Amino acid sequence: MTQAEVQTSKASAAEAELARLRAGDERAFEALVTRHYGTMLAVAQTYVKGRSVAEEVVQETWLGVIQGLDRFEGRSSLKTWILSILVHKAKTRGVREARTVPFASLGPDDAEAAVAPERFRGAGDGFAGHWRAYPGNWHASAEVTAQDRETLRVAMRAIAELPSAQSTVIRMRDVEGYSSEEVCAALDVSEGNQRVLLHRARSRVRSALERHLDG
Amino acid sequence: MAESAEHVTCQEVVELVTDYLEQALPADEAAVFEQHLNFCDGCDWYVDQMRTTIATVGRIEEENVPPAIREKLLAAFRDRRRS
Amino acid sequence: MIAYKFLRPDGRSVFTGFEWPLPDDTPGAWVEAPVVPCRSGIHACRTADLPLWLGRSLYEVELAGDIVEERTKVVASRARLLRRIDAWNDDLRDSYTRDCADRAHVLARSASPPMDDWDAVVELGIPEGPALLGFVAARIAEERDGLDAYHAERDRQRSWLVERLALADSV
Repeated sequence: MTQAEVQTSKASAAEAELARLRAGDERAFEALVTRHYGTMLAVAQTYVKGRSVAEEVVQETWLGVIQGLDRFEGRSSLKTWILSILVHKAKTRGVREARTVPFASLGPDDAEAAVAPERFRGAGDGFAGHWRAYPGNWHASAEVTAQDRETLRVAMRAIAELPSAQSTVIRMRDVEGYSSEEVCAALDVSEGNQRVLLHRARSRVRSALERHLDG
Repeated sequence: MAESAEHVTCQEVVELVTDYLEQALPADEAAVFEQHLNFCDGCDWYVDQMRTTIATVGRIEEENVPPAIREKLLAAFRDRRRS
Repeated sequence: MIAYKFLRPDGRSVFTGFEWPLPDDTPGAWVEAPVVPCRSGIHACRTADLPLWLGRSLYEVELAGDIVEERTKVVASRARLLRRIDAWNDDLRDSYTRDCADRAHVLARSASPPMDDWDAVVELGIPEGPALLGFVAARIAEERDGLDAYHAERDRQRSWLVERLALADSV
């Protein structure tokens, strides 16, 4: 498909989904909740302390979505709209509870190498900094496909084990497909900070996949 | 950033890869990065691994919604029709 | 503007995988891509850039439209492949690789003190081909004598290529 065709097809799928939701299609609503729940919880937890409080915020958000469905004009995407409701409720709740987790504490603290330093040649080796042994060529093996169920499970487990700030960013960017601008606005973080968190998260998930695929 | 204006090491590449894929590297650095991928199969495969990782994560769909919460939200959704 | 472009053996771009319309007796069709820094545009080499981008197949390319000259490449909004430079074949690639390896050895061994650690990796790199060995030779020159020596070595590589490939030399 061309870029234009992809955009058009995405737009009509979105319209169809909104129509189904407005018509009261429970399967559509359940699919929507299932799709976004985990990320919404992660985002809520950057504003409020405690999982149960975060779960309340997420539930309140969904109730707000249900109430607002008829009024939603579709100028932004559904998921952008849902995110804005969530952030508003989370911020309000966070302030009220006076237990807002300041974003500074979510920032990257000490350096974290994407790949263990011993996998590269050392200063005395000549060609310092280059791979001692190359990483695997994943396109060379037919079993490596992003759709493989076991590979997906390994990735999900890896994300679940990430520090919360890294988990939130990779969920928002790579699972949900929010733009970097949306992530920065929702989490009140700089572009550079967001990218460092994304980098660390992706590096850890890649490592997990490598252990699974290459042994 | 890289020590030399003219090259990056593999160790630097694995730290710069996210900036590169996000198109956040300045033009000259992106060019040096690509020159490296051109001669280094190891890093070419690493960047490819990273793309595969992103694609894999992008296919995650299942999320565990606690059953009680799921039922509560569905009930609220059903109630909307009646109002 | 005439420039050069390396493609994969199947005629695809090295980084984007884009399938280029290949020339036979006549130039290939024009390709368009708006120039947006770091995001889009057609990349090509001036002769000085050749050693940095060595690939499997080499083509002469005509650039038109918006043309932006960057430090190590040219980016254009319109281009077509004029002819494949058949002289850039496996034999010449091997010859270039060997030449760079020999230069690397000379530079490493004649350094004071000799750069034994670098010298040891030269032969290991041979199977990786011309792009790697060109880089190794230039890096050894840089380690020996600084950034100017790096550029001088790259310029030596450019001359080698221009002469063997009978290219019209540009700056």
